[in-house]
Amino acid sequence: MFHKAKTSTRWVQPRALSLRELRRKSILAAVWSAVLLAPMQLSGASLTGGSRTTEQASDSVLLVLAAASLADVLPRIGDEWERLGGTPLVFSFDATSRLAVQASQSGAGDIFFSADPQWIRWLDEQGTVSLGSAVHFAANELVIAVSQDISVPVEPDMLLGFERIALAGENVPAGKYARTALEKAGVWSEIEKDVVRGGSVRGALEWVARGEVPAGIVYRTDAEAEPSVSIAFVFEGPEYPQAQYWGVPLGSTAHEESAADFVNFVLGDAGQPFLREAGFSPPQSFVADGEAQGQAAGDTGDDLVASVSSAVRLSLIVAFLATLVGLVPAVGLGWVLARRDFRGKTVLSTIVTAPLVIPPVVTGFLLLSVLGASTPLGGLIASLGFPVPFTILGASIAALVVGLPLYVISVRGAFEAVDPMYEELSWTLGCSPWKTFFRVSLPLALPGIAAGAVLAFARSLGEFGATVVLAGNVEGSTRTIALAVYTLLESPTGRETVWVLVGASVIISLIALLGFEVLSRRQKRRLEDRHAR
Amino acid sequence: MPADTNFHLGLDLEIPFTGGGLRVELNTASTRIAVVGPSGSGKSTILRILAGVERRAYGTVLVKEHCWQDSSNGTWVPSWDRRVGWVPQETLLFPHLTVRENLSYGGALPDWVSETAALLQIGDLLDRRSRRLSGGERQRVALGRALLSKPRLLLLDEPFSALDRPLRGELSELVSDWALDRSVPIVLVSHDEEDAKWLAEERWHVGGGSLRKE
Repeated sequence: MFHKAKTSTRWVQPRALSLRELRRKSILAAVWSAVLLAPMQLSGASLTGGSRTTEQASDSVLLVLAAASLADVLPRIGDEWERLGGTPLVFSFDATSRLAVQASQSGAGDIFFSADPQWIRWLDEQGTVSLGSAVHFAANELVIAVSQDISVPVEPDMLLGFERIALAGENVPAGKYARTALEKAGVWSEIEKDVVRGGSVRGALEWVARGEVPAGIVYRTDAEAEPSVSIAFVFEGPEYPQAQYWGVPLGSTAHEESAADFVNFVLGDAGQPFLREAGFSPPQSFVADGEAQGQAAGDTGDDLVASVSSAVRLSLIVAFLATLVGLVPAVGLGWVLARRDFRGKTVLSTIVTAPLVIPPVVTGFLLLSVLGASTPLGGLIASLGFPVPFTILGASIAALVVGLPLYVISVRGAFEAVDPMYEELSWTLGCSPWKTFFRVSLPLALPGIAAGAVLAFARSLGEFGATVVLAGNVEGSTRTIALAVYTLLESPTGRETVWVLVGASVIISLIALLGFEVLSRRQKRRLEDRHAR
Repeated sequence: MPADTNFHLGLDLEIPFTGGGLRVELNTASTRIAVVGPSGSGKSTILRILAGVERRAYGTVLVKEHCWQDSSNGTWVPSWDRRVGWVPQETLLFPHLTVRENLSYGGALPDWVSETAALLQIGDLLDRRSRRLSGGERQRVALGRALLSKPRLLLLDEPFSALDRPLRGELSELVSDWALDRSVPIVLVSHDEEDAKWLAEERWHVGGGSLRKE
């Protein structure tokens, strides 16, 4: 999910941010490219797209909510549709499950393209669509995709030999289909413990492409479009599930006719060649194995208490670890920035505080590029017995890096509030700067440092973007409260549990902020001496 | 004990950063020097340079046979090796420490701390936090802290400004005797001619960007 904006419209092409290319360059080059290319892409987008959006009033545009795996092919079919005079289209691509929930709750959108008929049925129950107008227009096979250095083919039972296997999220269709396929192949119970979940199928594929995970179960179309992976096995035949793509006009549409027309356009002679070219199969004649899918979806309801307490416990552990490990760097950096003048101070300050404004997902991507198992540094750390991706260590590092700016800013403020003359006095009384630091600077700044730690702790609790990219969404080792909430939102059965987690999250955060306020006051009082004179 | 006859203080400094800039040429064998002048003229800066906490001045600082600063060859003796008893005008006491802890900060032994505190009439304040002291009490604690650090040179910046007249005289005498007993030279900075009279035998005037002996 990190190599694509969560929702993308056709004006900003999802391919534009070609992260696969960036990944091969150094971090610096990646940052520069991102900085330099982004405005160019934006201006390019506005040149082609801007005129269109201004010419046509928004009420004559169809908003299409479509499964992420259609992100490459659907805009091409859309171009053809518009070329032939069809109503202009705007796309929003995401995991089917999230789109379905969005469609039902927002009451917006004109057409829904689902990778799973179950969600069409669910929307029908919600009254958001009419099942009768849904059309099955394509299918997609599941494949085992492996890193290029692994020899193919790889039969399903050979997956037992792999350290990890990447799947899409358990409520995302691709993740459910993959589980069913592995169950049919008779290996699920043995490899379940090795499974790591990416948010979307693209997220899982990205890990395989980067070599972080040796193998993943993804759609054939996605694997074919990714040059850095090989297709090692195709789950073919009636015993294996296929993703069934369905299109349906949404009940909220004001353009029922053109919405239905576009669905039929995709199903018909105009759309099918594009789908075939992209690797999709023709619509299946048999009905999907609803039983297996229903069973997979029902799993989220099990063991609610266990998963909630696991998420809360994990959040607290990760936040504590991040706060503890961050203490020394935060104090060191805070002091240096408060007390020293040197060439490059501005640069250092900017780099340290950058994660405050860089989107966490981007931070996570950069961290993965440095600490991933296939990188020199990450490889070294892994060889010492501390692999970073998909581990609690990875989650803690992500939380630390994202929380560090607040930490450093607080600590720096605390040191700056201490009159330098206290330190000068200590020097003249025979204490070296080092000794002075521990006898004067540190004790005087202590409440402010504690306040910074609490703030960093609170920020770590809320960390999501960098964590999901660097450490994945693995229940029991990286699925913190934020990730658990996100996962549950994908599932129609997870709604009640969400409130428990939301409550826990809000309460912990508020307590932390209260602590911050108390400690900040104490810092002020500690230095009151200055005002007494 | 006679005064240290070998003492010599030599300053040859360019101080560009005080208002209008200040040129300091001072050569003396006196062990009781007062620098007087209006506020903002840079007197306190001279003490900061001697204390080794102000590094931006250019030139040389010679104390007895030691060279503490020579900008031409980069010589610099850090504060913590100079052993000066600096009492800045702000009389900052470490707010996280008690009076006793402030007094013994420079490594003085407990007996000596009690003794000196009694002399300075702050013996009953030893366990208080510094923020609970009056201005006069604070000045005496700051003075005591400097005396207790076994200084080779006392740098006093308006040390009695918060004290009333009788106590001022008393303390001046006390410091004077103390310094005489131990052959510790004093450099005093004040805008108050009276203070200077009590302690100094040689007075230097700051004004118009330079320093001259009276």
